[in-house]
Amino acid sequence: MFKLLSKIFATPKELHENGVLGMNARNYKFISKCNKRSLYPLVDNKVITKTLAQEHEINTPKLIGIIEYQHEAKNILDIIGDYKEFVIKPAQGSGGRGILVVTEHNKEIFTTASGRKITYNEVYQHISNILSGLYSLGGRYDNVVIEELVHFSSIFNNFSYQGVPDVRIIVYKGFPAMTMMRLATKMSGGRANLHQGAVGVGLDISTGKALNAVLKDKPVTIHPDTNANLMDLAVPLWREHLDIGSKAYDMTGLGYIGADIVLDKDKGPMMLELNARPGLAIQIANGIGLQKVLKNIDKHYPKNLNAKERVDFVLNGGKF
Amino acid sequence: MIKKIKSVRFVLFVCLLISIIVAATSTYYKVKYWGFSFKPKQSTGVWSIEEHISFMPTGEKIKVSITTPEDSDNFKVLDDSIIATGYVVKTEKNGQKKLILTSNPRNSEQNIYYRVMLFDNEDTKGLTKDIKPQAPKIPQLDERQIAIAKEIIELTKEMEGDLPEKLIHIFNQKPAHPLVSSYLPFKISQEEIAAAIRELLAIEKVSSRVVKGVKLEEGKKSLEADLMVEAYIRNKWRVYNIGTGKRGIPGDFVIFQRGDKGLVDIEGGEDSSIQFSVLKSLSSNFDLASHRARIADQQAYFDSSIFSLPLNEQNIIKWLSVFPLAILIIVIIRNVIGLKTMGTFTPMLIAMSLVQTGFVSGMISFSIILIIGMLLRGLLSKLNLLLVPRISAVVIFVIIIMQAMTIIGQKFSLNIGLSAVFFPIIIMAWIIERASITWEEDGAANATREIVFSLITAVMTYLVVSNEYIRHITYAFGEINYVILFLVMLLGTYTGYRLLELTRFAPLVKG
Repeated sequence: MFKLLSKIFATPKELHENGVLGMNARNYKFISKCNKRSLYPLVDNKVITKTLAQEHEINTPKLIGIIEYQHEAKNILDIIGDYKEFVIKPAQGSGGRGILVVTEHNKEIFTTASGRKITYNEVYQHISNILSGLYSLGGRYDNVVIEELVHFSSIFNNFSYQGVPDVRIIVYKGFPAMTMMRLATKMSGGRANLHQGAVGVGLDISTGKALNAVLKDKPVTIHPDTNANLMDLAVPLWREHLDIGSKAYDMTGLGYIGADIVLDKDKGPMMLELNARPGLAIQIANGIGLQKVLKNIDKHYPKNLNAKERVDFVLNGGKF
Repeated sequence: MIKKIKSVRFVLFVCLLISIIVAATSTYYKVKYWGFSFKPKQSTGVWSIEEHISFMPTGEKIKVSITTPEDSDNFKVLDDSIIATGYVVKTEKNGQKKLILTSNPRNSEQNIYYRVMLFDNEDTKGLTKDIKPQAPKIPQLDERQIAIAKEIIELTKEMEGDLPEKLIHIFNQKPAHPLVSSYLPFKISQEEIAAAIRELLAIEKVSSRVVKGVKLEEGKKSLEADLMVEAYIRNKWRVYNIGTGKRGIPGDFVIFQRGDKGLVDIEGGEDSSIQFSVLKSLSSNFDLASHRARIADQQAYFDSSIFSLPLNEQNIIKWLSVFPLAILIIVIIRNVIGLKTMGTFTPMLIAMSLVQTGFVSGMISFSIILIIGMLLRGLLSKLNLLLVPRISAVVIFVIIIMQAMTIIGQKFSLNIGLSAVFFPIIIMAWIIERASITWEEDGAANATREIVFSLITAVMTYLVVSNEYIRHITYAFGEINYVILFLVMLLGTYTGYRLLELTRFAPLVKG
C-alpha cells in the first residue's frame, strides 16, 4: 500500500529538490512578479499581438481581416476574398479554443483541417459565437481574427495525428528557459493541447532535439497513432525559434511568457500566439523542474543583453 | 523578491494573531457574561419563584421587609419584581439585599407578591470565598441539658462523618433516640431541630447558622421556606440538610437568607403566611443574553451586537456568517488540494442550496435539473443561437424544469421535486452552459470530470456548512470570521505544492 502510494505520490521535498515549479509558486513568484497586469492585453488580444509582432519583425501569419461587430459577420465571404484557406480565431481566446481552420471552401461548404465539411451557416454561427464572447476570457465580447493558414512543414508529418504541431517556449526575463513540442493525437482531436491528450516532447534548449516525451502526464516514447519514435524528433531552424521567443520579451515587456511557434515550410518559424500564464506540463515533458531553471537564470544569467545575445547565451549552454 | 513575500506574510501573520486574540477575547466575554455556549440551541433553565405574603393589618403603620435571594454558586438572579399595590418600595442593601415596603395603616387582608427569576449559574461555581467567622457563643443551658448534650456528642464519637452530619442523624432517628427525646421533649419541628443542632455545635465550638431558601421543584407549592444548617468546618461553610444530614447545597436549592432572621418581617400585621410557588421554564441562550449582559454591565456592547436585532434579521445574518468558512474551504480545495472546479464559487453556492434542500433530495434534484438541462441545451446548440439569447433560453429552461419538478413533486408528494426551487437559477443555467461547452469541445470525459470535481467540492463544503455546531459557532462567535479572513489572505501567499501536484509531477522525480 505504502509502496503504491509512494509510486503515485512524490513528497513535497522530492519535488522541491528537483526544482519542480508548482501552480501556486508559478502564480505568486513568477506571473504576479514578472507580468504587469496592464501588459496582459498585449498577449491576450491576438490583433494587438500581431500588430506588435510586425513592428518587432517577428514572423506571424498574415492578418486577412477582423470582425468586430455582429452585423459584420455577414461580410465574411468578402473578407476572405480569394483566400481558399484561412483560420478563424477569437482575438482573446485561450487554450486553442474557438479556432476554426478552413482548408478549402466553395462559399457554401467549408472543409476544416480535420476533413469535416461544414456549411456556411455553421461558419457564420462560429463567428457569432466568438463575437458574443463564448471563447474569450471571462466571456466578454470579443473580436474575430481571420488570418492566413500556415503551411506546416512536412518534417513533422510522422509525429502528429492531423493538427498543427507547435513549439512552446517558456521565456523568462527574455531568456528561452524551457521548450517543448506539442503533437496532436487522435485522443486530442487533432489539437495540440496537452490536457486534451496531445503528446508533449521536451526539447533540448540548445539543440532542439527531443529529450523526453509525455502523454497525459505519463512518459511515452512512441506516438500512439503514428508509432513514430518520438526521440528522433529534432526541430530545424532552432535558433530562429528561440529568436522569436527572445524578441517576444522585448515586444511585450512580460517577464514570464509562453510563446507558441509553428514551422511554415516556406516562411520558417512563425509566432502563433503568446501566453502570459503558460502551463506547467512542460516540466513533465522535459523531465526537468522549471523552478530550478528559472532560479538559475535569476542567479547566473547576465542582464542588459539584447535579444540576439540572450539567444547566443542560451545556445552556448548558459555561458558566453 | 523573497524578502517581499516574507514581509507580506509577516504582516498577514500579525493580523492573523491579532484577529485570533480579538476572537478569543470576545468569545470569552460572550461565554462568561452573555452565557453563550458552543453547543447549538443551548437553553438554560429559568426558575421563577413566587413568594406570596399575606397578612391581616393590625391598624398600625405597615412595614414589610422581604429578604431576596443572592447570587450563589448555583443560581444567578435574572430579574425580580414585586406586586404590592399602594406600598412604597425601597431597596436596602445592608449585607444582604432587602426590599422594604411601607404603607399607611390599612384594614383589609393584604397580599404581596414577590417574584424572582433565577437561572443556572455556571460562571462562578466553586469560586465563592468564605470569611472565617467568629467563635460561637456558648449557649446558655441548664445543667441537665448540658449533660444530655455531652452524652449526645459522646455518641457521635463512635460514628463517621462530619459532626453536623452525625448530629442530624441522631436527631432524625426513628423512633426517637431517648437522649434526643429528653433533650427536645416535645413534638419537634425543623426549626427546633436546627436550633438544637446549632446549640450542640456551639458547645463543640463550631460556628453555624441557619440557611433559609427554597428547593426548586417544578410546580411546587409550599407554605414554608426550606431550612438547612450551615456549619464552618475545615475552613469552609458547609451546608447540611436537616432532614437527611447530607452535606452540600443541593443543586436545586436557592438560598434566600443566611442567619436567624425571618425571611419576611412584618410590622403592623398578624396572621401572616408565606407561600412559595416555583415554576421552571426553558429559555434559549440568545434570549437570555441580553439579560445577562445587563447584569454584567455590558448592555451597551450587547445593544450594538447582532444579537439585539429582530429575529428575522438575525436569521439572515446567521446564514451569512457561515459563508466565510465555506469560502475558506473553496480556497483550500483549489489552492492547497488543487481540484479544478466549474467557476470559483459555484460549488459553494450548490452547497448552500443543499443545506436548504437536504442532502439526498438536493443531490437528486440537482442531477435531474442538470441532466434535463443539458439535453435541452444539446438541442439548442443545433439552432445556432447567439450567446446571450442562448444562455437566456437555458435560464428559462431551468425555471421551467424547476416548476415542473415542483408540480410533479406536489402531486406525488415527493420532497425531491419540491427542493428544486432552492437552487439558484442563474448558477444552474451557467453550470449547464459550461458543461455543454466542455462536453462539445473537450469531450464527455472532461465535462464529466469537471462536474464530478465540482460536486465533490460542493459536498465537502456542504458537510461543513450543514453542521449545526459550525453554523452556531460562526454565528454566535462571529469574530471567528476575521480569523478566516486573514487565513484566506495568508493562503494567498502559499507558494507550496498543491496536493494533486504531488501525483501530477511524480513522473518527474520517479524517473
